[in-house]
Amino acid sequence: MHKFLILFVVSFFSLTSVVSAEVDFSGKTITWVVPFKEGGGTSRFSRFIQPFLTKYLPGNPTIKIMHIPGGGAIKGSNYFEKNAKPDGTYIFGCSTSVIVNVATGNPLVKYNLSAYEPVLLLPQNTHWFTRSDLIDEAHDISKLQKRKLVLYGLKTPASADLFHIWVFDKIGIKGAKPIPGLSSSGAWQAFQRGEIHLNSQGAAKYIKNVKPEIKEGKILDIMTLGLVDANGNISRNPLAPNAPTFPEMYEKVNGKKLSGDDLEAFYSIAAAWSQASKSMLLPENTPNEIVKVYRDAAKKMVNDPDFKAKATKVLGPYPLTVGEEAGAIIKKAAIFSENTKKQLNKVLKKHKFTYRVK
Amino acid sequence: MEQFISAFFQLFELTHLIFLFGGTLLGLVVGILPGLGGTSGLALVLPFIFNLEPSYALAMMIGVLAPTTTSDTFPAVLMGIPGTAGSQATVMDGFPLSKKGMAARALSAAFCSSLMGGIFGALILSISIYYAIPIIMAFGFGEQFLLIILALLMVGALTGENFVKGVTACIIGLIIGSIGSAPITGDPRFTFGTLYLIEGVPIVIVGLGLFAIPEIIGLLDTKGAIAKSLKNERGWFRGIKDVFKNWFLVIRCSAIGCMVGALPGLGGTVVDWIAYSHLKQTAKETSNIGKGDIRGVIAPESANNAKEGGALIPTLLFGIPGSGNKVLLLGGFILIGIEPGIEMVTTHLDLTYLMIWSLALANILGAGLCIGFASHISKLTLTTDSDALGVENITLPLTHSKIYTYLANHKKEKQRSKSNFPKKLITDVDENHSINGRGSKSINMNYELVWDNILDPETLIRVLPGSKDIQIKEPHLYTGEININFGPITGKYDFSVQLTDLVKPISFKLKGSATGSLGSATGKGKITLVRYYILAPVMIVLIFFATFNFNRDWYDFIGLLGFGLIGITFKAFGWSRPALLIGFFLSTKVELLSYQTQAVYGLTFLTRPVSIILIVLCFGTILLLLRQKFKQSYTSSALKNKKNQIYYVLILLVLPLLMISVISSLDYRASLYPISLCVISIILLMIIFFVKIIDYNEHPLLNNSIVKFVNMNIYEQNSGFNNQFSYYLSFIGYLIMNFVVGFPIASVIFINTFILFHDKRDYKIAIIISLILLLVLWFLSFMLTLQFPNGLIDMIIDLPWWLGGSLN
Repeated sequence: MHKFLILFVVSFFSLTSVVSAEVDFSGKTITWVVPFKEGGGTSRFSRFIQPFLTKYLPGNPTIKIMHIPGGGAIKGSNYFEKNAKPDGTYIFGCSTSVIVNVATGNPLVKYNLSAYEPVLLLPQNTHWFTRSDLIDEAHDISKLQKRKLVLYGLKTPASADLFHIWVFDKIGIKGAKPIPGLSSSGAWQAFQRGEIHLNSQGAAKYIKNVKPEIKEGKILDIMTLGLVDANGNISRNPLAPNAPTFPEMYEKVNGKKLSGDDLEAFYSIAAAWSQASKSMLLPENTPNEIVKVYRDAAKKMVNDPDFKAKATKVLGPYPLTVGEEAGAIIKKAAIFSENTKKQLNKVLKKHKFTYRVK
Repeated sequence: MEQFISAFFQLFELTHLIFLFGGTLLGLVVGILPGLGGTSGLALVLPFIFNLEPSYALAMMIGVLAPTTTSDTFPAVLMGIPGTAGSQATVMDGFPLSKKGMAARALSAAFCSSLMGGIFGALILSISIYYAIPIIMAFGFGEQFLLIILALLMVGALTGENFVKGVTACIIGLIIGSIGSAPITGDPRFTFGTLYLIEGVPIVIVGLGLFAIPEIIGLLDTKGAIAKSLKNERGWFRGIKDVFKNWFLVIRCSAIGCMVGALPGLGGTVVDWIAYSHLKQTAKETSNIGKGDIRGVIAPESANNAKEGGALIPTLLFGIPGSGNKVLLLGGFILIGIEPGIEMVTTHLDLTYLMIWSLALANILGAGLCIGFASHISKLTLTTDSDALGVENITLPLTHSKIYTYLANHKKEKQRSKSNFPKKLITDVDENHSINGRGSKSINMNYELVWDNILDPETLIRVLPGSKDIQIKEPHLYTGEININFGPITGKYDFSVQLTDLVKPISFKLKGSATGSLGSATGKGKITLVRYYILAPVMIVLIFFATFNFNRDWYDFIGLLGFGLIGITFKAFGWSRPALLIGFFLSTKVELLSYQTQAVYGLTFLTRPVSIILIVLCFGTILLLLRQKFKQSYTSSALKNKKNQIYYVLILLVLPLLMISVISSLDYRASLYPISLCVISIILLMIIFFVKIIDYNEHPLLNNSIVKFVNMNIYEQNSGFNNQFSYYLSFIGYLIMNFVVGFPIASVIFINTFILFHDKRDYKIAIIISLILLLVLWFLSFMLTLQFPNGLIDMIIDLPWWLGGSLN
């Protein structure tokens, strides 16, 4: 009799658990691992998304954000790879530097990023500009190309800043020389003091710091990286609609359209640097139904009027990428082709860096 | 103006005030707890607050830091010992005033001028910062590089007490700071293939290791303490009046403090002396200065609080901290997302104003609390009231030195049978502290013995000067005759002393009365033996908890204990810990700036006007400082074990040599900087080594003034080093226990073993503390959703998660 009872209870519970395989997170706590410190861009991104995700995930789970900074984001990423369970209770907050670590073959990387299931991508875009006394008018770099020394800030060649070297090489600024060890804000300060000639900023800083000075005539736009959509179409940045994109500038300088190896490299760089600037991923081997639940929640979230109202201000003016198409972008960003690596190593060698992309 | 107002409103928001007040309170407690200064206090607090809303964390950090310059006045005035370097000049007149029986006046004047100095400093800063933008814009890579060099040299010169050793400590800090990935090439340097060392040990962990651990071990080394002090209600108002009478002096010294504070490295240590000499030069009436002039308290105290605001300038604008606690403050700012830079006076000006004004407000709170605390501190310890004669500070002079002398003599008799008295006792007798009735002094010995000796009537005869015919009327009631030779109350008195509230072996109360030809006096007192072996393990557990909460990384414990060992040995052998910390923090910046300067300017940066000013300033101040140091008398009494000194220098030499051998194969842009540092440090260490050898062999060269200078060692104290080291080993044992049974259980075991090892009868206290600890951990684990480090035991037994089990 007892055995029957137990059997009954067990079968009852297993039945209900099949029913709840509909994916319900009620009463559960979801851990969102952010491999950066509090207050950084990825942390802000996660904190902004967090309440909306709770609202739209079935069962309205509690989401706690766990910051694990260190090792150039490798520590937190490796932690996620090792500890995350593929049952929807772990989310990964990813950014360009996490991707670049993989793409450039950092030997300390233990996470298999390209196998993760992306839910949501937040693009960013880079603006390049210079002082108004260095060029004749906005978007015209002929004077810079002739200059013997054009200094710009570079954090380390092992970071996404590596792409600057490639970009300046491709648009023929021969005197471009990186000043190492300058963070984005350090480079901006040095640029204001007149110690470096070229500077670049993301959308937020561009609106806050650069635009007022453009109005005053102290700074002139050069170009933006350009927005790439899932099909590879390139459009201008809505924040600086008059500024050419990198491919446009490339065409103007070299007299031919961006194509071949250069285009391939550009797509990889744009994917890592711009399209997947901030992203939210689920661990490898997460069941499809859970991935779907997350992607549906993200789609609902993006259309939430409250989200729309706040997002432009907090996250920038660029449309978020949700769902299937995000996967291809992450793969493109995380796996650089041999040709692209060769290109990057060539410019690294040219500037006497010993660091190499592997 | 707009930002000014918005900062003002934010300042008085209730939550901001609560956190500021909480921080201030915490800072005061940390400041008064013997041995823990502002630096270790801040290091202890940081791991808990960086999760808070940034503005609250900011309020808390400033709160913790602000009152340390106020509370350090207690030991300066009362015992003649500067609590921190910033109150050295306060001793000059504060202590004589206290000897004259005007301690209350001196203290209230000090607190009040601290308060005023803090406010005026903030005012001056608020106005001048508005005009600072062009000056800041003039600080390019080259100027910043020179500013850092200036800061490093200053800190080296000022905190080491010996220029060569101080600078060497700075350079060792720079070398340790260069461990990790090379900023130019990304090559891992000296990391031995570990991920942990790639980013280097976090600054908070370094701070905890270098400052908190050695201080706690230092406390343990003095096993018992007799604290005594007198309660004094009079003179408080007079001190406040003194400050208002000298309002112009307060303003001038605040301005000086604010400006000198802005020079990195300089402010923290000499501003009080600069204000003091300013007083000497400008005062009309100077005859009394140095002998107990109230202005001698007002001048340094107002300057020394005003400098805190000034010191925010290099910290916030250039990210160049000028002192150990600013390093941690800056580390905290960066943690909560405040990046130093010119934005701090342009777009984030409101934040800067908020900080300056929070600092001023925390100063007010701190001074208020200090006055409030003053009477409680005396309640904790021996308090003596007097009335009849209206003379302040009549004491039944149960002086420290008398107790010492007695116990020291006693030792010789007893040592044959029992050798419980450590040798150190005799050297600790310090006549300077005898006249003052307030304060505390450590005696390094067993509680029981101290207790028995204090209760012994014979002791009373010996320690009460001029007493005779002491009789025991009934248990703990003594009567006798006493001759007092103290100022106006000289004469013969009959006295009786009643001991009550005996709590063996911790404390008792003492009530006495004396009648004589001049009138009568009554005194009350309490003698407390503080037992650090109960406090210390709790603090170690707290530090471990803080460390874990910071990054949740096991490796941090190894970093903590590693820097703890460096801290203990640096402290024991007279090497500057602040210099090491600042060098460590600024290392990456120095390296980058040297490349950046080279790339942008080459050597021409030296000819830029601001550079020239900085260079002149640098050499000028150092020359001035060196001259002052030469004048100071050199006492070699602390230099006991010269052999260990030499060994320690040799151990230090291992670091640069190892570094060179490990990284020399790297690209020159990765290895040039650490290798050149190593070469400089090897040269400096060799110099110190040879001077130590000369000193050890008592070679005639010792009389050479340069050799003498390099050999100068004022802060050195290596007594009980072996003792300290064994305590350190027990921390390693605790760490291993953590690995095995997890944090909560290991902590309980550690606290119990530690206390019971010292005194088995304290098992009740040990159990209570363990229960409280478990309760607190349980509460915190829920509050912070914190999973404690789980040990190997977790694999065998399923523990609840708040005991270190797995979270799910």
